[in-house]
Amino acid sequence: MATIKFKDVVKSFDNGKVTVIPDLSLEIKDKEFVVLVGPSGCGKSTTLRMIAGLEDISSGEIYIDDKKVNNIPPKDRDIAMVFQSYALYPHMTVYKNMAFALKLKKLPKKEIDEKVMWAAKILEIEPYLERKPKALSGGQRQRVALGRAMVRNPKVFLLDEPLSNLDAKLRTEMRSQITMLHKRLQTTFVYVTHDQTEAMTMADRIVVMDKGVIQQFDTPQMLYNEPANMFVAGFIGSPRMNFINSGIVKDGEKLKARFSGYELTVSKEKAEYLADYIGKEVILGIRPEHFIAAEEITPSKDKCIITVNTEIAEMMGSETNIYFDLDGKQNIAQIKTGRKINPGDRIRLSVDEDHAHFFDPVTTAAIG
Amino acid sequence: MKSRRAFKESLLYILLFIISVVFLAPIVIILINSFKSNFHISQSPFSLPNVETFAGIQNFIKGFTQADFSRAFANSAFITVFSVAGIVLLTSMTAWYLVRIKNRFTKLIYYLFVFSMIVPFQMVMYTMTYYAFELNLNNRLGIIFIYLGFGAGLSVFMFSGFIKSIPTEIEEAAVIDGCSPLKTFFLIIFPILKPTAITVAILNAMWVWNDYLLPYLVLGSGSNRTLPVAIQMALTGGYGNKDMGALMAMLVLTILPIIVFYLFCQKYIIRGVLAGAVKG
Amino acid sequence: MQKTLKKYFPIFVLPTLAAFLVSFAVPFVSGVYLSFTKFKVVNENTWVGLENYIKLFTTDKTFMNSLWLTVKFTAVSVVTINILAFALALLLTKGLKGTNAFRTVFFMPNLIGGIVLGHIWSLIINGVLGYFGVDITYDPKYGFWGLVILMNWQLIGYMMIIYIAGIQNIPEYLNEAAAIDGATPAQTLFHVTIPMVMPSVTICSFLTLTNSFKLFDQNLALNGKSPDTSLLALDIYKTFYDHTGLQLASWHGIGQAKAVIFFLIVALIAFIQLRATSQKEVEH
Repeated sequence: MATIKFKDVVKSFDNGKVTVIPDLSLEIKDKEFVVLVGPSGCGKSTTLRMIAGLEDISSGEIYIDDKKVNNIPPKDRDIAMVFQSYALYPHMTVYKNMAFALKLKKLPKKEIDEKVMWAAKILEIEPYLERKPKALSGGQRQRVALGRAMVRNPKVFLLDEPLSNLDAKLRTEMRSQITMLHKRLQTTFVYVTHDQTEAMTMADRIVVMDKGVIQQFDTPQMLYNEPANMFVAGFIGSPRMNFINSGIVKDGEKLKARFSGYELTVSKEKAEYLADYIGKEVILGIRPEHFIAAEEITPSKDKCIITVNTEIAEMMGSETNIYFDLDGKQNIAQIKTGRKINPGDRIRLSVDEDHAHFFDPVTTAAIG
Repeated sequence: MKSRRAFKESLLYILLFIISVVFLAPIVIILINSFKSNFHISQSPFSLPNVETFAGIQNFIKGFTQADFSRAFANSAFITVFSVAGIVLLTSMTAWYLVRIKNRFTKLIYYLFVFSMIVPFQMVMYTMTYYAFELNLNNRLGIIFIYLGFGAGLSVFMFSGFIKSIPTEIEEAAVIDGCSPLKTFFLIIFPILKPTAITVAILNAMWVWNDYLLPYLVLGSGSNRTLPVAIQMALTGGYGNKDMGALMAMLVLTILPIIVFYLFCQKYIIRGVLAGAVKG
Repeated sequence: MQKTLKKYFPIFVLPTLAAFLVSFAVPFVSGVYLSFTKFKVVNENTWVGLENYIKLFTTDKTFMNSLWLTVKFTAVSVVTINILAFALALLLTKGLKGTNAFRTVFFMPNLIGGIVLGHIWSLIINGVLGYFGVDITYDPKYGFWGLVILMNWQLIGYMMIIYIAGIQNIPEYLNEAAAIDGATPAQTLFHVTIPMVMPSVTICSFLTLTNSFKLFDQNLALNGKSPDTSLLALDIYKTFYDHTGLQLASWHGIGQAKAVIFFLIVALIAFIQLRATSQKEVEH
């Protein structure tokens, strides 16, 4: 039940020699599930740790529920944190691990017991309460770590890459568990990960960070459909978006993007913004899933059809990933096709112009 | 084939048995002689006691009462227990601080501690004794403080090695759970350090209990003397005929607690000594 | 966290640091200084430069003797202890039943303090020599070999434990591979076992080296009365405390100078050990 607000927060180490967060402002709404995502070293964990109070901030202000917390110690911020390594106390049983914070708060025994049992029941760890962490599997430890956070009934849940030590299957399972937990607890969740799939599947809103700067803060749909710049466009979506150098030319009423001997007609909405770029270079961004096998569509004069030489073909089940070369750069198309494709096959691909993205080659910002 | 192996094995056993006898002989000889009367110890030191030479436990009674042996024993026990407790507690705290607070100053302190491990006692023996007397540390409490200083090197070094392997996330979890640094240390870190603490305790206990020169210089051979000092006094003290029977009994009484302790905590002692060897 | 903990310096570090400064750091620094002075007590000294160090090799008759004796004693001990300890470790890793009991017995002497140990052996050696009408002070050779026997008795079990750990760490497949290649037990020993326990050999060699070099308690208890069998540590002690009268001041300075040299040798050994072990780690 809390909002979190960053106001011009700066974080530097070694007396200002190394700045990891140059200037961060951010507002997280109450009960929101926000995921901080970005490559390692982008400052996402530091941001989370600043909310927790584990890192001091060099300047600026952080508010939790409109209360300035700059100088409030972690324990008084009414937050709970789940760590990547779980950070369970190895010498305590599961029960004691979960009860520890409550014991320090000098809560009555009965109340502690009720809270621990409540969390244990939800997380289905009741049978292990008397075990030490050493005797638990990775997934069970993860649940204990969640339980330790839950019993405190905090205003804010902070989770730092909580799933990265689990195997792929368990990770998918825990992903939905954590989402359900968020619905159930009705509190603010701030979740850090480097995995864009986790971010896309779990978040209400995602903060994409790079080099300590927020690149975009929006819903998963918006990040996918309208990435603010090339970094976000490349980071969100898998396989990543293809970036193709192209030039904008005017052809009668229409604008066309020329690349590699082909021409793509620019959709009406985009054409408006691209007017300034006529005769200039832009970066054309096309997601792999926005190529369509030409054989699947009805041919039309306006369609941009390219013919490519398959270098590698990965059969993924319902789709096939095709790697092909365009002007010396490798690109990927993800197409639905019934037939088997082999390396060396020549394939005709249609580009979906409604889903084409355009970026400024200098600023890398999205055009339009 | 099978019988040849069995033959070989029994040869090995005989060999090992002989070596064991050689290893135990010195202790056994002292033990045997402690039951013989004075005259017969010097007359025939390697014979077993018989009806004529058997002195019963008389030597032990004399040994324990004579030369205030019991007092030396109590002094040694007091100094060992409190020195070891102090060293384990305070050096583990120091090591945690030095590992977690990284700056030039803590680095310097750490390397000073490590440096002290290679300096032989004779290097500081004279000056240390002077300062001990100047600061009134020449008593049973003061020497505990001195032992803390001398034990700091190895103990801080061993604790630091282990603390470096504890993930800081555990401590951060404790901070979020509401621990102050003191609570973090005593409720979380120290329990995790327990195996190393046992090792450090054993290494220091063996050192302090057996140490001779430091307590001799600081406490002297008066009423504060420790067991090794008392033994050295009793066996080299120059006047008249020595009561060999009582001396033998004193040696037995000194060794006995160590051996009993060893037989009960063998696993820890061997592990501790090994750890000390590899690191020290 | 860091910031909060930082304030706890007085609680976490100060007691240990204060004890360390009083009992080690300050005495060390003043010890180095005093080796260049003439002094009766620490706070009344006069600077004499290198005089004490020169006297070590001129006026003082015992220093070079004890240094040479220490070197000989250390060399003999290191060789005998390590060979015997390794042989015992081989015997105890043959998979015989009751190995642990033997291990317990062999390790036991290590726990007994140097003074007590010295006196036990003094009684035994003098008991044996008594049959020939002499005692340990009769010939420095008796004292020397008495010390070697004592040191062996005390340290063999300790080194054996380290060697056992080393041997048990050799992966079983290496022995099996050697057996398949048709190696005799002796060949296996020299081409598999010994090369594989070289790290243990390094550790044990340096442990016996420093332990022998710094030996004091055992030396005092066993040979305290005979003049020609003082190792370095005991010689330093005697230089300080066995002189009386007017010469005291000059002897204190010489004693401190000896201690500095003793320290430098021990430090050099430690430094070589550090290099040797860290190089080994790189190789692996």
